[in-house]
Amino acid sequence: MVDFSIILAGFVDVFTPINLAFVVFGVVLGQFVGAVPGIGPVMAMAIAIPFTFGLDPLPAIAFLVGVNKGGLVGGAVPAVLMNTPGTPDAAATAMDGYPLAQQGKPLKATKMALFSSITGDTFSDIVLITVSAPLAILALKMGPVEVVALMVFAFSIISGLMGESLTKGVIAAALGLLFSFVGTDPEHFTPRLIFGYWDLFDGLALPSVAIGMLAISEILRRMSETRRGEGKGLLVADTGKPEDRRVSFAEYWACRFTLLRGATIGTILGALPGIGSTAAAFMSYAMTKAASKEPETFGKGNLHGIAATESANSAVVGANLIPLLTLGIPGSVTAALIISAFMIHGMQPGPLLFENQGRLVYGLFGAMIMANFINLWVGQAGLRLWVKVVSAPEAVIFASALLLCFVGVSMATNGLFGVTVMLIFAVFGLLMHSFGYSLVIFIIAFFLGPQFEKSLAQAIALLNGNLLNIYTSPVAVALLALSVMSVFWFLSKRSNTAADTTNLGVPDGETLDQKHP
Amino acid sequence: MKLASKLRALGAAALIAFGVPALAQDWAPDGPITIEIGFGAGGSTDTMGRVLAEVMKEQTGWNVIVENRPGGGGVAMFTSLSQRPVDNQTIGMGVGIPVLVQLVQRGDELPFDIASFDYLGTIAKAELAVVASADAPFDTLQEMIAYAKEQGNMPLATMAPPQVLMMNATTKASGVDFNLVTADGGAEVIRLILGGQVLAGFASGEHFPYMESGDMKVIASANQSRLSYAPETPTFIESGVDAYVDAVFFLAMKTGSDPAATAAIAAAIDEAVQSPEIAEIVRNAVQGDPINMGPEGAKLMMTDGLENAKRLFAN
Repeated sequence: MVDFSIILAGFVDVFTPINLAFVVFGVVLGQFVGAVPGIGPVMAMAIAIPFTFGLDPLPAIAFLVGVNKGGLVGGAVPAVLMNTPGTPDAAATAMDGYPLAQQGKPLKATKMALFSSITGDTFSDIVLITVSAPLAILALKMGPVEVVALMVFAFSIISGLMGESLTKGVIAAALGLLFSFVGTDPEHFTPRLIFGYWDLFDGLALPSVAIGMLAISEILRRMSETRRGEGKGLLVADTGKPEDRRVSFAEYWACRFTLLRGATIGTILGALPGIGSTAAAFMSYAMTKAASKEPETFGKGNLHGIAATESANSAVVGANLIPLLTLGIPGSVTAALIISAFMIHGMQPGPLLFENQGRLVYGLFGAMIMANFINLWVGQAGLRLWVKVVSAPEAVIFASALLLCFVGVSMATNGLFGVTVMLIFAVFGLLMHSFGYSLVIFIIAFFLGPQFEKSLAQAIALLNGNLLNIYTSPVAVALLALSVMSVFWFLSKRSNTAADTTNLGVPDGETLDQKHP
Repeated sequence: MKLASKLRALGAAALIAFGVPALAQDWAPDGPITIEIGFGAGGSTDTMGRVLAEVMKEQTGWNVIVENRPGGGGVAMFTSLSQRPVDNQTIGMGVGIPVLVQLVQRGDELPFDIASFDYLGTIAKAELAVVASADAPFDTLQEMIAYAKEQGNMPLATMAPPQVLMMNATTKASGVDFNLVTADGGAEVIRLILGGQVLAGFASGEHFPYMESGDMKVIASANQSRLSYAPETPTFIESGVDAYVDAVFFLAMKTGSDPAATAAIAAAIDEAVQSPEIAEIVRNAVQGDPINMGPEGAKLMMTDGLENAKRLFAN
């Protein structure tokens, strides 16, 4: 156990004006870069790390914490305001955030995202600071067999989000899986479906596919709908009512169970490396929708929808630090970047971290608490700015967003090959959208497919090649039983009620029609 | 025109006057030097490459920038490096063994071979070991084999094809089957061992904090020689399994580069590798000391490594 004086010393170290300034700078940079379409939170981290080379460890880590947390808040902004999410988990936020923005309430939507994100983040930070060690040990017991069962359970819940046509949903998921198979197979390291392109050896880069499918195809589609000479802004005019510009405490409080559920799902999935924020965001969204008394309002601007996704995906990022700090195991791309930054600054995550560098770790925790508060204040001001920015004429917004997506993807994938892939997937996404296939389901399958495949291969090896040996793990059996139950529940619900009207792949088409009948 | 030819004549005169050896010192890059890293951001190759670039920049005053070009354990990067014209300032940084494995397995599909590059030097060697939880009922490779024989089977985590081949060689030498679980990197091997899902696994430094805390122990060195941090632990070869893997982090340029440029850059790398910054980051990344084998040593490492990879695959 770490000495209390070390904890105190760590907190004292971090609460200095210099560190505060670095956290503020980090949060501002993170929110800004995270909110730029096509760049997003992961790139914000990658860009920030070289800035810290010349700094002392604590200000450097405080700065990176700021960037990381700022990026989380910023990432939701383009999804909500423009329906151009750059990452799969932000796609979940767009489902209700964008319709709300289109109802003339962009500030309400982004503020709800900000509050939910900070709530989820703070929740997982508290868990990290207080019980990370026992939780990490518990997470270790979740081996590949249990992870496979957990992923099946997550899929069974997310499947409740399949749009009105089950067939089209299954086709979209199958296509997503097919494209996720491109690259080295995880078991024997043989290249699959690469057709001689060695750049594809590690698979199709997620930024290329996600930004091409979700952002570029959306921009292209909307450009095709724009009429010449219409200099109108992207956003529907503000309703002018003050209650549509803010989130009242009553509205926030009404979402408390949604937020708590999202934060819990995010924290649990974040503590287990390799499942990630996308599954958490969609699982939380689907559970919230299923638990809601009025599920038909989801996808049309329900605050609960925003609260569910943002609290879950932000909680994952804080919880990812649990295996990272206590075991030295990164749970995501951002976490891998953080580990390398820590190593550059002489911090060695692992079992002895708290013992050897306790003071620095508690300094890090102090910086995280600071960053959460600063995120809230900077976010309040920054969101107004973004809403102003997107009120520029569509021609300007779309052109600059396209340019930024090109720049962002070429940076994230190190070259023009990734941009080519992005453009191919943009056209593919446009086609899928026009034929009514859900892009979001495609992306979820594409993103989670490889992780599922890897865990499945590991599980089969551990079960001596026979999946029926799964009875040796009671946890896995329980999770699989729950999955079967949830699938039956969703199917019975589907046949009882008329076809689900919230078509995920076409999130705005319907809501726009309701507004302009 | 006249001026240009005069300048050229002056240059030639200077060349004759000062002789070729002076060129290495006089050479300066025309624009930024790019280190292309064959792995994504955040890994140990990337981390070391970025610090190396930073130190070289400080020591030489050149503008050294880093680009990541992941894919196929460095194959994508070396492919593109070998396909571009010689520019005297693009350096590739990768790890020997993944490239060598691809050269053995599908060399005819690849547009390059070992001779396609001029080697500049090395920065470190990853010490690969088989590790186990401290309470595992065996301490050496032979005891582990005996234990697996007694149990009939034993789950063991690997992270790359050469390690699978080493375990196949072990099976061939002992007749004992291992239940190989493929993990995505050393950190995941550690997680599987700590979680009790596997009993042992390959790791290259990720286990070090756990050795210090007494939670893990080293069973065998998978390198050709013993491990620097566990000199009393025998290698696979010493334990009767004739197989090893050496993973060396090296730097190379496209063959046919200006000898003055390669000499100057190799000297700059050598100077940087001796700096305390590099020593620290190498220790954090691979738990060993920086090793620069120099241009000749790096080339020898690749040719020897290719022979070894062929032998592993012949099993």
